[in-house]
Amino acid sequence: MAMNRRDFLKVSTSASGGLLLALNLPGCASVQTGYEPETGEWKPNAWLELTRDNDIIFTLDRVEMGQGTYTGLTTLIAEELDVAPEAIRVEFAPVAPEYRNPLFGLQLTGGSTSVASSWQPLREAGASARLMLVMAAARVWRVEPGQCKTEGGYVRHPNGLDSMPYGKLVELADKEVIRGDVPLKPRSQWKYIGRQAGRLDAEAKSTGQAMYGIDVELPDMVYAVMTRSPRYGGLAVSFNRDQVRAMPGVLDAFITERGVAVVADRYWRARKAQEALAVEWDFSEAVGLSNPDVFKHYRQAAGDDPGEDERVDGDPEAVLEKAGTLVEAEYEQPYLAHATMEPMNATAWYRDGGMEVWAPTQAPDLGRIAAARHTDLSPDDVTIHTTFLGGGFGRRLTQDYIEEAALVAYRVKVPVKLIWSREEDTRHGFFRPAMLHRMAASLEDGQLTGWDHQIVGPQILDWYVRNAAPAQYPWAPKLLYGTLGRVGLMVEGIATPKDISAIEGAIGYPYAVPNVRVRHTHTDPGVPITWWRSVGYSHNGFAVETFMDELASQANEDPVSFRLKLLESEPRHRRVLERAAELAGWNQPVPEGRARGVALFKSFGTYVAQVVEASIEQGGIRVHKVTCSVDCGQVVNPRIVEDQMTGGIVFGLTAALNGEITLDGGEVQQSNFHDYRLLHMHQVPEMVVDIVDSEEPPTGVGEPGVPPVIPALGNALFALTGKRQRRLPLKA
Amino acid sequence: MAFTLTVNGRQHSLDVEPDTPLLWVLRDELGLKGTKFGCGAGLCGACTVHLNGQPARSCSTPVEMAEGAEITTIEGLSADGELHPLQKAWVEQGVPQCGYCQSGQIMTAAHLLANNPSPDREQIVTAMTGNLCRCGTYPRIVAAVESVAGGVGQYQPAGEDA
Ligand code: FES
Ligand code: FES
Repeated sequence: MAMNRRDFLKVSTSASGGLLLALNLPGCASVQTGYEPETGEWKPNAWLELTRDNDIIFTLDRVEMGQGTYTGLTTLIAEELDVAPEAIRVEFAPVAPEYRNPLFGLQLTGGSTSVASSWQPLREAGASARLMLVMAAARVWRVEPGQCKTEGGYVRHPNGLDSMPYGKLVELADKEVIRGDVPLKPRSQWKYIGRQAGRLDAEAKSTGQAMYGIDVELPDMVYAVMTRSPRYGGLAVSFNRDQVRAMPGVLDAFITERGVAVVADRYWRARKAQEALAVEWDFSEAVGLSNPDVFKHYRQAAGDDPGEDERVDGDPEAVLEKAGTLVEAEYEQPYLAHATMEPMNATAWYRDGGMEVWAPTQAPDLGRIAAARHTDLSPDDVTIHTTFLGGGFGRRLTQDYIEEAALVAYRVKVPVKLIWSREEDTRHGFFRPAMLHRMAASLEDGQLTGWDHQIVGPQILDWYVRNAAPAQYPWAPKLLYGTLGRVGLMVEGIATPKDISAIEGAIGYPYAVPNVRVRHTHTDPGVPITWWRSVGYSHNGFAVETFMDELASQANEDPVSFRLKLLESEPRHRRVLERAAELAGWNQPVPEGRARGVALFKSFGTYVAQVVEASIEQGGIRVHKVTCSVDCGQVVNPRIVEDQMTGGIVFGLTAALNGEITLDGGEVQQSNFHDYRLLHMHQVPEMVVDIVDSEEPPTGVGEPGVPPVIPALGNALFALTGKRQRRLPLKA
Repeated sequence: MAFTLTVNGRQHSLDVEPDTPLLWVLRDELGLKGTKFGCGAGLCGACTVHLNGQPARSCSTPVEMAEGAEITTIEGLSADGELHPLQKAWVEQGVPQCGYCQSGQIMTAAHLLANNPSPDREQIVTAMTGNLCRCGTYPRIVAAVESVAGGVGQYQPAGEDA
């Protein structure tokens, strides 16, 4: 296959979200466009299909996991096509090159990029289809296209009387050729973008009709459960096969690369057979880590290796050395699980030399690689059908659950659905990495003059490359997958974009301090990790914004004005901070027994400031109110922006108050919602969300609500008790 | 073992082990996929159905315990083909995000309103707090229940005309 090196290693321009492999994947079939006379279907481009019968179908290529693409992206195309979003039927995209996220070169939903990356292409797709329909109508009527109008799925004649539905025009429109650029509607003419609109998937999700991965049903389907090594990296050696196979309904039980699979005619029978399993494991390669070791390991590494400089302004070392007041602090953050409400699952069917997979996945083209991994198939033999996702938060970027379903299906040759229990989901996840942050800063007469931030911990690419590197070379034999992963890591930052998952949010330190150093001591204790809603921002936000608060208090300054003074040339930062403070009544007295804390953090291009009001009651932390101001550029759906902020706040508070995965001898100690606790309704504070009106290009909202609330709460607790908390989760 | 179950007003005969959780019987034997599996341990409420009008966690209800009971699932919440007022409110308020927990949320709310047509906010929170939502849709859930209960939500979505 002729393809030059530059094509492969196209460096992405945006580093948003820490997802960084920009790859070109050859070998996928492209979407067929054009008019199909038999069926009367016209596909003007990869996203739209209009039929003779006036159906309009939009192929959604960014998965819907709650963040609102189903509504938001449909709104973009509807606006330019000039039909109501509700008039469009949405279908989930198959795998095809047209549907790749241009920011990553992969068909992947993550990094809060969907609206930003689809903003231009989808509006253009809608506009060009509309223009072709108008041109066709104008030709029939012998009028100028520019004189025709469109409305509600009709093209209107300039005489104001005649009109033709889009469906009547699809065949003719296919012959029209657009020369030059397609004009997009000016902002003043928008009917749907920025308007308060509901969610197009709300009814399906309120009636039990929305289909998630776990709901897939196929003829003669069987069920599988997988028993994985309790410690990461352990291998199954043997098990009581005869006993398990004799259990009611059990069809098969066997050792796989992922553990011991039990297949039964019913899910519950598979689970009961699993209970009877006695597996002998080989732990010689397994991780045997216990929780205190993790931070011991990090401290050791931090001392041995000052880390690679990721940003240096001025001469921070010299300034810190002769600091008037040197302030130092260390922050610790634990491993965190995603705990999507829908546990991991996938359904696979191997027949006629091909594999079909139905799965709630954030990265269907990586799902193909995962499905092929332990079979003789190539990724091209795999078809992925994406369903609604019962939550994603980054967990479903890693395709291990598809790998499992596929390897079972390959053996049993009937449709098989593999479901993880909640306990398995909690224990065998890929986690938000535990991180250590060492901070130092110098104050001279209350002025912040130097800043040194040492980040200690792993980077996600080290783990993700196993999934993604083979995508670069789909024709490569699977034997080479491991090698490809290692090569992928070696060229990281040279031939491929740098992984910023550990340092994002730290390198973008926005405050006007003349001497800044941000460095990363790269060390990995071996616990599986992946992206987790807001990724590196989730831990850097806590470190940076807690330390800023410590410095404000050292300088005897109000935390808001301390920050504002350092943001002279950061107007968008300033604005959200000022608005959040104003709305929260920052300068007004706090109700008796409570205190306020503030934090400001930009992530994924979006600026968010939050003020938290909290107290300690009956020995527990109580969060009363969170005030949030967000600037995400042009807003497509204000309601969804608000929901992503409040949802992000709840997600962040859950981490701040409860979130912690701990290890004992390599085994995860948490298992279900009693010990990996989510926020309950009675713990949810009043939340006020203020959205800055902006004409800047849209940026993401799925993740940026998470980072600031964690330090803002910690800072409120400091204001309340005078005691600084430097480790998460926070304690009363 | 053979069982007769009455689900959404219809009788079904089936043959399953008596300890099979009702959840899997509803989903896999009867094809009612609206009831969801979240934790399997009575901790999240995603699997909530009504047993004789009382909310029950179907993941922790052996099918043998459900025999003879009137079972209602999200699919049968509204008998007349119209949406239940709560479902309408859910759509109007745009409550669901990923949506996975919402069948359970609605079933719990429906039980609350059946027994207390105008609960105040505290009563709503007390009734609903056992139903987890990882997406954090809680404020919209409260607003939706209040809108049906005739209460006036203080909760104002941004950008909405006051
Ligand atoms: S699945 Fe039944 S309570 Fe969670
Ligand atoms: S809407 Fe996603 S868990 Fe509730």
